[in-house]
Amino acid sequence: MSGAVLPARGPGDRLTGLFWRRPWLLLLLLIAPPLLWLGVVYMGSLAALLLQSFYSIDEFSGIVVPEFTLKTYAELFRAQNLDIILRTVTMAAAVTLACAALAFPIAYFAARYAKGPWKAAFYLGVMLPLWSSYLVKVYAWKLILAKEGILGWAAERTHTGFVIDGLLSIPGLQGSSLSTSPIGTFLVFVYIWLPYMILPMQAALERVPQSMLEASADLGATSRQTFRSVILPLALPGVVAGSIFTFSLTLGDYIIPQIIGNSANFIGMAVYQLQGTAGNIPLAAAFAVVPIGIMLVYLWLAKRAGAFDAL
Amino acid sequence: MTSAVEFRSVSRHFGPVRAVDGVDLTIAEGSFFAMLGPSGSGKTTCLRLISGFEQPSAGAIRIFGEDVSRVPPHLRNVNTVFQDYALFPHLNVRDNVAYGLMVKGVGRGPRHAQAEEMLALVKLDGYGDRKPAQLSGGQRQRVALARALVNRPRVLLLDEPLGALDLKLREAMQDELKALQHRLGLTFVFVTHDQHEALSMADHLAVFNEGKIAQIGTPQDIYDRPATRFVADFVGSSNVLPPALTRALGGPEAWASLRPEAVRLAAAGPVTGPVTALRYLGVGTRVAVRLGETEVAALIPAGQPLPAEGEIVALAFDPSALHVMEGAR
Repeated sequence: MSGAVLPARGPGDRLTGLFWRRPWLLLLLLIAPPLLWLGVVYMGSLAALLLQSFYSIDEFSGIVVPEFTLKTYAELFRAQNLDIILRTVTMAAAVTLACAALAFPIAYFAARYAKGPWKAAFYLGVMLPLWSSYLVKVYAWKLILAKEGILGWAAERTHTGFVIDGLLSIPGLQGSSLSTSPIGTFLVFVYIWLPYMILPMQAALERVPQSMLEASADLGATSRQTFRSVILPLALPGVVAGSIFTFSLTLGDYIIPQIIGNSANFIGMAVYQLQGTAGNIPLAAAFAVVPIGIMLVYLWLAKRAGAFDAL
Repeated sequence: MTSAVEFRSVSRHFGPVRAVDGVDLTIAEGSFFAMLGPSGSGKTTCLRLISGFEQPSAGAIRIFGEDVSRVPPHLRNVNTVFQDYALFPHLNVRDNVAYGLMVKGVGRGPRHAQAEEMLALVKLDGYGDRKPAQLSGGQRQRVALARALVNRPRVLLLDEPLGALDLKLREAMQDELKALQHRLGLTFVFVTHDQHEALSMADHLAVFNEGKIAQIGTPQDIYDRPATRFVADFVGSSNVLPPALTRALGGPEAWASLRPEAVRLAAAGPVTGPVTALRYLGVGTRVAVRLGETEVAALIPAGQPLPAEGEIVALAFDPSALHVMEGAR
């Protein structure tokens, strides 16, 4: 009599056995759907976009001519379009810098000091604004920044209205109130994208072990030197990750500059108008390629500056 | 001789936990001092009190006679080799070692030269351009050592520096550390939970238990004449005899310790018991004999006849080997 040593196997066990013998099969099954999504839907539409940007539009009929040309890209360099690009990039850079400066202390506190309920409060505080509608928040800011809004009211009561008036008289930032000035656009951008800077920074700072800071102090470094030579370089990948979010999100946004500010055109708004009312898909595509190019250059510079050395 | 480090009834409490509780300690200049104890016994907290990462709740700490209660870590003339090495991952080995000089404002050329000198001292010349991630555990340990030594500290603190290394490497590093300490004439303060490491490397050691020092002395003092049952238990594979058994074996009625290598097996004696286990150790065989409630070990040198398991034997020993402990615990 031969008693079975191994337990009986059902169809499920047989499948497990198959995956055990051929580990790549399971891997293939798992990554095929996302790979299809990423490869076909996402990269495919990106390729289509790139292709469109090399077409041009017939100026009389308004029909897209599907022939390879660099004419559309040349149009980007017309003064009016160059203005849009320059304005958008300047805004994105300013927003990124402000977000980084604001986010660092918050992320540092959360990573190094917050424990238990404080940590929960931190996550809630950072994430909560993301749960409410983006449009509601932007309109709320329009009210806050308006001439008769709470900021104006507070300035009037404290007799500090001259500060706002002073800001609004700076050339290039003029407006009748903060909500119609580029300053307002900037403030709202900073508010809306701040969480995307805080979270990666906090994750990066959390990975710096306490003993590394102690080692720095042990070797004679002051807190400032430890910050400059240890904390900042180790947090840099997080700062870069956060800045990719804030920078590219600002580059592509077309709603905030429409609602708040002096209605000056941004890349996102230009794309929106060109593909909609103007029906100039090739130029819209060319505009959309600009942020991609800028981000590639930015990442290349960050890599050269050693931002990813600590990874 | 001046004392390098001095603790005057130092305590460090974390809430209700007395991590360090009224410790008095003097570490002589140029000595290799080990702090030995199980985890949570306060030895690491003592080390952190010296480096300045903890502040005493009570008492005073002096480094070369100077009260350091108000001196932050970066201004103390001591350096630490951390347990996890804490090498900076974004800097190469040379810049890691030169870090202490960099923050002092030493120029690039001279600090790199000194760093290379230190790397040569720990036998890592030519590794300057590598990143810490490209090194083995033993090499990282040497980098941490070189980095701590580059500032020419007067006291070097080592927090379980060999814990992460495998046995062979650990033994090699023990010899090297000892040789290095001799050559530099520095005071080394070494924290470990490994009895053999403490006994073989230190010239003085303190055994910690529950935040207090159970015994302080030379390795021989501590091995041959443990002050308390805890020390006897923790430090050696020494036999701890309860008062009744000590008396039955011809001593006073008190707790005593008896080293296994001093014990022989005899055919007859006042106390007999069965052999419960035999463990072959290479240099000899450890024979465990049950005497009432207590198991007593005897180390029988290689080549001598061994009893069988279960055989009833008696024990014999040189009366001078029996050490009576004053401490109750």
